Amino acid sequence: MSWLPLSFGFPAILWGLLALPVIWWLLRLTPPKPQMEVFPPLKILARVMKKEETPHQSPWWLTLLRLLMAALIVLALAEPVFNPREKLPTGGAALALVVDNGWASAPDWDRRVATAERLIADAASTGVPVLLAFTAEKPNAEIGPFDAEAARDKLRATEPRPVPVDRPAVYARVAAALETLPGASVAVLADGLASEGDEAAFGNLLGGAANVVWAVPERLSAIGLTAAENEVDGFRISAVRAADPTMRQVTAGAFDDKGRRIADATLTFGAGEAEATGRLQVPFELRNDFSSIAIDGEPQAGAVRVLDENSKRRRVGLLSQSEADRAQPLLSPLYYIRRALEPFADLVEPSSPDLAEAIPQLLEQKPAMIVMADVGTIPETARAQLVEWVQNGGTLVRFAGSKLAAAGNDEELLPVRLRVGERSLGGTLSWTEPQPVTEFPPTGPFSDLAPPNEVTVTRQVLAEPTADIVERTWANLADGTPLVTGAKREQGTVVLFHITPEATWSSLPISGSFVEMLRRIVQLSRNQGAAAAGAEGQAGSLAPYRMIAANGALVPPTPDARPLAVGAGKVPVTIENPPGLYGTEEGVFAHNLLDAETVLAPLVRPRIEAPVTEMRYAFDESRNLKGPLVAAALLLMVLDTLAVFWMGGMFTRRPKPAARTSGSVAALLVAVMAVFAPAGQADAQDAKPGDAEAIEAISTTRLAYVLTGDAGVDSISRAGLAGLSRFLVEKTALEPGQPAGVDIAADELSFYPIIYWPIDPNAAMPTEAAIARIDAYMQQGGTVLFDTRDQFSTGLDSGSASPANERLREILGNLNVPPLEPVPPDHVLTKAFFILPEFPGRFNGGPLWVEASLEAQNTDNRPVRTGDGVTPIMITANDFAGAWAVDANGDAMLPTVPADPMQRAYALRAGVNIVMYMLTGNYKSDQVHVPILLERLGQ
Amino acid sequence: MARVGEASSPVLTRDALARARMRASLVPDLLVEARRVVNTVIGGWHGRRKRGIGENFWQFRPYVEGEAMARIDWRRSARDDHTYVRDREWEAAHTVWLWADPSPSMLYKSAGATVSKESRALVLILAMAELLSRSGERIAWPGLTDPFTSRNGAERLASHLSHASELVAKPDLSILRRFSDIVITSDFLDPIEETMAWLDVLARHGVRAHLIEVADPAEETFPYSGRTEFTDPETGEKLTAGRAETLGEAYRWQYTARRQELAAWCKRLGWSFTVNHTDRLASDALVRVHAFMTADGGYASGVRA
Repeated sequence: MSWLPLSFGFPAILWGLLALPVIWWLLRLTPPKPQMEVFPPLKILARVMKKEETPHQSPWWLTLLRLLMAALIVLALAEPVFNPREKLPTGGAALALVVDNGWASAPDWDRRVATAERLIADAASTGVPVLLAFTAEKPNAEIGPFDAEAARDKLRATEPRPVPVDRPAVYARVAAALETLPGASVAVLADGLASEGDEAAFGNLLGGAANVVWAVPERLSAIGLTAAENEVDGFRISAVRAADPTMRQVTAGAFDDKGRRIADATLTFGAGEAEATGRLQVPFELRNDFSSIAIDGEPQAGAVRVLDENSKRRRVGLLSQSEADRAQPLLSPLYYIRRALEPFADLVEPSSPDLAEAIPQLLEQKPAMIVMADVGTIPETARAQLVEWVQNGGTLVRFAGSKLAAAGNDEELLPVRLRVGERSLGGTLSWTEPQPVTEFPPTGPFSDLAPPNEVTVTRQVLAEPTADIVERTWANLADGTPLVTGAKREQGTVVLFHITPEATWSSLPISGSFVEMLRRIVQLSRNQGAAAAGAEGQAGSLAPYRMIAANGALVPPTPDARPLAVGAGKVPVTIENPPGLYGTEEGVFAHNLLDAETVLAPLVRPRIEAPVTEMRYAFDESRNLKGPLVAAALLLMVLDTLAVFWMGGMFTRRPKPAARTSGSVAALLVAVMAVFAPAGQADAQDAKPGDAEAIEAISTTRLAYVLTGDAGVDSISRAGLAGLSRFLVEKTALEPGQPAGVDIAADELSFYPIIYWPIDPNAAMPTEAAIARIDAYMQQGGTVLFDTRDQFSTGLDSGSASPANERLREILGNLNVPPLEPVPPDHVLTKAFFILPEFPGRFNGGPLWVEASLEAQNTDNRPVRTGDGVTPIMITANDFAGAWAVDANGDAMLPTVPADPMQRAYALRAGVNIVMYMLTGNYKSDQVHVPILLERLGQ
Repeated sequence: MARVGEASSPVLTRDALARARMRASLVPDLLVEARRVVNTVIGGWHGRRKRGIGENFWQFRPYVEGEAMARIDWRRSARDDHTYVRDREWEAAHTVWLWADPSPSMLYKSAGATVSKESRALVLILAMAELLSRSGERIAWPGLTDPFTSRNGAERLASHLSHASELVAKPDLSILRRFSDIVITSDFLDPIEETMAWLDVLARHGVRAHLIEVADPAEETFPYSGRTEFTDPETGEKLTAGRAETLGEAYRWQYTARRQELAAWCKRLGWSFTVNHTDRLASDALVRVHAFMTADGGYASGVRA
């Protein structure tokens, strides 16, 4: 199976696939031929058949499914392996694994571990011991021999290190260990980069090997940052890679000490080029904040470079001897210097004008540079300190002036010998012209600056011509006399401008070139703070502060990191001194992995006598397919079962044959219902218990009465409302339904426009919840007609209240009762249907109390007062229901008091008015305007 | 087992005509009625001097409780305290459309039946044509003829049928107008929704329809058993039942439900629905339909199996 990366553990089982045609034949066994019948109502039969159909001939897809299932099982039994890997020659007495875990191994370390694990597994299968050595570990790390399990543990515990590999030492150790195990296999898992002493190391290691496994990365993609320099107008960074024929572009980012990205630069490696440079073009102030530079997408230590104080903003001390300067700032010798330096340097000035105090003050602040404007003689004590500072790396910039010209020469603090006195060019008594400045000499630091041609110099101090005057000259006048000279003093620099720092001797200080020149000198200077701070502490050693991890991150120091000895030349990057920042928060020293001369050369495979197997770093891609195949077969089995169930009608919702006899009638009903009453069916779905009662209650207007629990009272209430209903049917358009007795504690009240409540003192007091329901009913627009039925039982003593009255008071005490009044003569109630002056019931004389209509007005002397709303409460004592009550024959049940037939008629009319008032509200009071409206219309 | 049913060859129209004549002659009651009708018609093609379906006013009569309120003539009733119903005169030249289902499923005839469904349907239609022609009505076949009046209407219709090259499966019924009748004989085995959709235009046009379902006894009783392959004569579709006897009950339920539904629908629309089995006499259906056509307003109960 060369075309498919598949191999089988037991290929013989594949012969089982030959059984598939037999299975197919078995599955295709067909049933006897059916009787053929013509049958017109086939469509009806088809609907019935859906669940009955058990095809004797299974459909083709089911057969296919089962065949596939059988094939899968056969294949699974044959134990197939996808992407099988070849066994590596790891025989012999032992397997020696030498793995590079230096900085270049970090990005694909997992892949290398997987490769090594495969080798260990192969060794385990042959049972040989394993020597496992890493080239970037400590020199005393254990190398074995281990058994496979221990080797695997050690392999997993090892991580890449941010340091270069040390092949010679480690290989020598392995070779020494192999001497006792002749004929061992050696597997070299290299990072692909050449290092010093490779040839000898490989020769030593592979000399006695029986087999060699050689693994290097396919491509060397590592990029290392070799330098980062803070230049005048940008940060120049350079990077190297192993030579590669393709072009590559990478982005480098600069980060501040909090890890925030503040600048970007692009580096482009041309095709075949191994080096590239980029420039971080950001303002000077930002550049000072750079703490590290890293290449994006390169998770390894070589692509990160940490920066220290050397690239920081300089401190510049200013000295002058003139005190009256502040009054005339433009004439102050330091004015132009300050303006020129302020943007890119920290300026410090001494508080005291006395040089003996001022110079030590300045030096305490450890400036990178000191600018002295026309300072002549320097006190001896201060001078000694100044000289020491210069020799330690300080940059002293001096400007000429009358004082300097008079002070005489100073070997240490002046770059050249000066002639006493000054030279004057031009002027009324001179033939000479003011001199311009020429091109800057190519040797000096100003070589690439544009020459300030517009600048003229009228006076200057002159240097004694000496042999080295030319190389000390940084700027010249047109006639060749030096304008700026500079000289090294040990590690420091002394610079002299042969003019004054203000615009009296020349126009240079007011030109742009002055700024550029000063800035360039500042760039050349070095901050003294950090190194000095380190030097002051433990002589020459700095504690680890921030380390670069193998993946390029800045991390706290690892336990392996030791203090870095500085000052004693370049310290190699080792496991004890991993790259990173050393020092303290106040001052750090950058210890970087790669230096400017680093070249990343690919590792060349040495000549090896033993047979060599090349391999690649890769994850193990072989997959045992037995599990997935069995799972697929099981899935198909589930599908097959579901399909069989489905075809057997398990999922159709039809009545079973046994239940059909009894269900046929119901089913027929349902079918007919479905055709003729689809809407009804939809309604029925959200039916709730009690809906029938609710629909009955609201389908007609019904008068309601409160069930007091006393059968006598309730029957009279019912008969009364029935009598009123009958009267309403006779006299009005309203046809109320049967009166409804409501239980105020349980029934829904909102269906009824009015509830008649006969107060029965013997009945139980309604519960608070019931009264709350009544209250809500009244608030929502219903009306309760309370009837105490005790007009004549109160007796003559008006002070005493009847029991019913007492009970009513108790009930009303828990209700929100509005202010009440007896029905006024112009109330709507008196005109709602009949014109009624009073509202008698079985008794006469008791007033009908309604809500007081306070805002109602009747200014125009109309028959009815205007006003909105319907009273929520009515109270009477006249026993309405008693007067209305009729029996089944329509005869009155109770006599009126007095027995006046008209009183009953009036009582019924009162009931009609009340019901009409309930149903129509203030409609009647609006009706009284009709004559006026008609009158207007008539005109 | 011998086959239960077979697809017979289409019946000859002249043969059907002869049988229809015979069938019509076997219905003495109907003949009497027909003669009476004919007699009244002879006087002129106008009113029958009796109330019935028509366009012209016939009489006002008092409203009887139980009648539909919509029939009350409010204009007349407003004159005095009584309510009246306006009756219309039975229009004379009444058009009756006749149609028999020509679809292949009608050719079916089972062992228990005497004739095929198509034969029965044609006989019924031609007998109707004979009866109606005799009483002077206008008859027509939708999609084939315009309404015509003729003493020998059945013969003319039969000759039209025998010369027709191809009969439409479901003719367009929208040409039928109000106050006409239609007699449809079919097995109504199509899905009931399709049938209703087809006939709905009649209801919308106010046509009174008389549906005669011609049913073969085998279709109703489902006497099959054992492994059976059923073939639809119209579509050729095949269904195989492993044990046909197990399907019988469910099938009969479906079959009856379809008929009930159609009958209920007809009743709702005021139409008549008659079932005629091919193992029974055609006169049964003939008498029923004639009764429906002469009856006025009220309708007898729908289904007669």
